[in-house]
Amino acid sequence: MIWPALRVSLLVVSVATVIVGALGLALAFLLARREFRGKELLDALLTLPLVLPPTVTGYYLIVLLGRRGIFGSYLYELTGWTVAFTWQAAVIASTVVALPLMFKSARAAIESVEPRYEIAAYTLGKSEWETFWRVTLPLAWRGVLAGLVLSFARALGEFGATLMLAGNIPGETQTMPLAIYEAVVAGEDERAFALALILTLISVAAVYLTNLLSRRAPAARF
Amino acid sequence: MLHVEIRKRLDTEGRGTFTLDLNFDAPADGVTILFGPSGSGKTTTLRAIAGIITPDAGRITLGEQIFFDSARHVNLPIQKRRVGFVFQDYALFPHFTAEQNVAFGLQDSGGKTRSARAREWLAQLRIEEAAGRYPRELSGGEQQRVAVARALASGPSVMLLDEPLAAVDAATRSKLLSEITALQQQARIPFLYVTHNHAEALRIGQHLILMHEGRVVQTGAPEEVFHRPANAQAAHIVGTENIFPGRIVAHREAEGITLIDLGDGGCRVAATYNELPPGAPVTVGVRAEDIIIARERVTQTSAHNVLSATIKRQFREAGRVELIAGSGGVDFKVSVTAGTVETLNLAEGTSVYLLIKARAFYLL
Repeated sequence: MIWPALRVSLLVVSVATVIVGALGLALAFLLARREFRGKELLDALLTLPLVLPPTVTGYYLIVLLGRRGIFGSYLYELTGWTVAFTWQAAVIASTVVALPLMFKSARAAIESVEPRYEIAAYTLGKSEWETFWRVTLPLAWRGVLAGLVLSFARALGEFGATLMLAGNIPGETQTMPLAIYEAVVAGEDERAFALALILTLISVAAVYLTNLLSRRAPAARF
Repeated sequence: MLHVEIRKRLDTEGRGTFTLDLNFDAPADGVTILFGPSGSGKTTTLRAIAGIITPDAGRITLGEQIFFDSARHVNLPIQKRRVGFVFQDYALFPHFTAEQNVAFGLQDSGGKTRSARAREWLAQLRIEEAAGRYPRELSGGEQQRVAVARALASGPSVMLLDEPLAAVDAATRSKLLSEITALQQQARIPFLYVTHNHAEALRIGQHLILMHEGRVVQTGAPEEVFHRPANAQAAHIVGTENIFPGRIVAHREAEGITLIDLGDGGCRVAATYNELPPGAPVTVGVRAEDIIIARERVTQTSAHNVLSATIKRQFREAGRVELIAGSGGVDFKVSVTAGTVETLNLAEGTSVYLLIKARAFYLL
């Protein structure tokens, strides 16, 4: 029962990391460079999963997205499908829990880029979109990358919220942290150790690669 | 011609509000100087023209094109105004090489590649060899050239230069001024150049807008504004500047000074160290307010220059007295209070000593 858990974890984490990366970057830009009402409230709300116990986050997700949930009930009426106890639920749980790590780090990184560089790009006729990709992001990329790696690690280790919303269905929603728990409870020490080792290796590799990248890239020299 | 007619209330930290209320023109023939003490709103004016900040009311037009018109609710975004902005600290993109910085603002055209055209611009500003270097590997003068090249390469319809020589050494300043003049004549678009330095203004300005506390005090040719201020306020803002031709004599690098002969060579002064070769001709400026008068030779002083001089003439105006003190064939204008003249018993023919800090000399 090692490979199904690894397969589920890799699927869930890779999809969640892509969503967290895109959504987190957009949120970070909005929060760092735009003024709008309720800005700090939005920041606080999205940061909540960082401080709440994951089971509480999971509980709110059930309230929102469960078959009888606030949004989930509409979805069920319309399509007859519910997200609860599917691998997509595990993605949602991981995304919500990991998102604050990404957007907090990226927001700080974008805020540290001096606006004069962006203004200089505007005077050279560049749109905000092009300026973001060619000026702001390259100057902020270390913080953005750090946020992405932390989110990846957090999504990989996600347990509580996933268990609440996605359950623990082997081969379907049982990710590695859930499989480890089950193995320990069942007294299968060898399996628990193997899973823990794989999880540790993936995390170490991610952090190591990040450090390597941020030291090698030419843009890191300034 | 660039026409600027704007009002803008600004909140300055701890100093209450400040209102920019301006009306001036900058023609396409020649460099227009925006001159005034720091805090008079020069940089804010450039930012309003570029569209970085929005005025409360008024009009900004460039020929037929309307950048901003509060009555007609026109406010072109920065990107559409096509201004070449040379920032005070250059704002070169740190993650791009010099060539990439210049190429960034170039439009794709059917002919040569963007990098080839970027190198042409660098060649025109004589920093071709810096093409592959990053901004942090460039000297202040080189960064300045890249910034000018980047702004001009983007094909602007107006150039805005915000104290571009503030962070450049004396040896580079003079060369850059000549190049900016030449580039203006080639581009034939309005150049608006912010400075608070007389020698710079006189050297490259055809027109001068004198600003004070957000308003235009006087406009005209730089010589005219400096020598014939329209009123007491204008006179106070321009101050009085001595400007002499000079020649570099020698360097004392360890002491941090450079010796310069003024005029025909009878007057030798010490200025802050620079890297101009000995024998090089320079223009030397020193403000009349920066010269101290003493009746006796002062020995224990931090001023590098203690010049023996004779008072030749004096002019009184509203509590201030302007003295003309001759030293070694050079006439210094010195500005003192009427009280000083009484206390020191100064009159025409009196022998005095002029105390001038090395830093007070500004070289071009």
